Amino acid sequence: MFDINLGLTIWTTFVFLALLGILWKFAWGPVLRAVEAREARIQGALDQAASEREAAERLLAEHRVQMADARRQAQQLVAEGREAGDRLRQEIEERARTEGRVLIERARETIEREREAAVETLRRESVELALAAAARLMRERLDEAADRELVIGYLDEVAGPDGDIQA
Amino acid sequence: MRQEVAVQEHAAEALHVAGAEGELTMEELPEWISDHIGDGGYIEFAGGHWDLAALAFDPIRLGPVVIDLSPTRQFVVMLLVAVLLALVFVPVARTIRKRGIERAPGGFAGAMEAVILYFRDEVVRPNIGHGADGFTPFILTIFFFVLGMNVIGLTPLGITPTANLSVTAALAVISFVVTEISGFRALGPAGYARTIFFLPAGLPLFMRPIMLAILAPVEFLGKLAKPFALAVRLLANMTAGHLLILSLIGMIFIVRTYLMGAASVTMASGLMVFELFVAFLQAYIFAMLTAVFIGLIRHAH
Repeated sequence: MFDINLGLTIWTTFVFLALLGILWKFAWGPVLRAVEAREARIQGALDQAASEREAAERLLAEHRVQMADARRQAQQLVAEGREAGDRLRQEIEERARTEGRVLIERARETIEREREAAVETLRRESVELALAAAARLMRERLDEAADRELVIGYLDEVAGPDGDIQA
Repeated sequence: MRQEVAVQEHAAEALHVAGAEGELTMEELPEWISDHIGDGGYIEFAGGHWDLAALAFDPIRLGPVVIDLSPTRQFVVMLLVAVLLALVFVPVARTIRKRGIERAPGGFAGAMEAVILYFRDEVVRPNIGHGADGFTPFILTIFFFVLGMNVIGLTPLGITPTANLSVTAALAVISFVVTEISGFRALGPAGYARTIFFLPAGLPLFMRPIMLAILAPVEFLGKLAKPFALAVRLLANMTAGHLLILSLIGMIFIVRTYLMGAASVTMASGLMVFELFVAFLQAYIFAMLTAVFIGLIRHAH
């Protein structure tokens, strides 16, 4: 049991080396290569996933910035629009008021002018009428001075104290 | 008539293994045990008896050294283990390679892959460091070869090649040679020489020869102590358990009572479980220490 059988030692060495060679070539080598290939593939997938996540995060941050930007711009636009609308409304109101005032003024002037023209015409017509009536009277009773006086007196009554025609 | 005698002789011979006619005396026990643990030119298994004498060679004599290359039963079992290992691991490798990088590992091949990766990642790489992957196949072969020889001795076949110093010494010498060669290749001639002829820095000139004279033999013995320890540790561990189990079994045939039989079988079964653990542990230790020794010498600068 404890004495060395050199033959067995030599056989052991031989068998071990043969087994080492066979397993190295047909078992350990292929297994280790396959495992290393798989490890490389998994590592590659992990790296890719990490880089893709990084890219996605960058993209997300970019989008957030853009969204915030767009919102601010929209708010600014709305505010500007409201301000412009207010200003425009005020301008339009102002102009309308002014124009209204001008129109009313002009209308009043026109009415005044028309009224004066009408009064003038009336007066002239009245005088003409009176004169026509007087001429007719005078032709018939030219010498009757008392009748003339009567007509004038009547006309004065019609014209009123300030010369206006009473309604 | 002659045939009958031959059969009777054969039966008697077979019975001799368990004591003549199933009886064993205390005095016969050591020889009976060493018959079972030791090597021999025959195999007895399941009542059969195969003589290996037909395959025997004439011993080669080189002066005082005698080399007998005749196959013994431990050699046959060793060969059987090697063939079984090849039959197991070559298909495993094919399965793993066929599965390739696309599919996840699984099944028996996946389990073996886990063991292989454990050795690569937890034994070889941490102990040997850079360039470790080249040693993985060597360490794996040591582990599985030793494991196979340890475990096959626990089967009813009962022949344990690793319970023989000739075998463990050969394995230790292989481990030693690989260690020294890898050290030589990693350190170069000068660096390797320094692993034997080591001088501490700053030593006075006149002290150097004295230190060398003292330290060089110590360093050299230190180198040799490692494979010696490897060989003896494996041998002793594999022998001790078998000695205990065989002693317990032998007690059945000495005492020859049912109580002894029940007690012996119970204890032997418990020991067998422990033996199984030891078989794995010693194979692991042998492989791991080889990796440690390779790592030590490669980083001895």
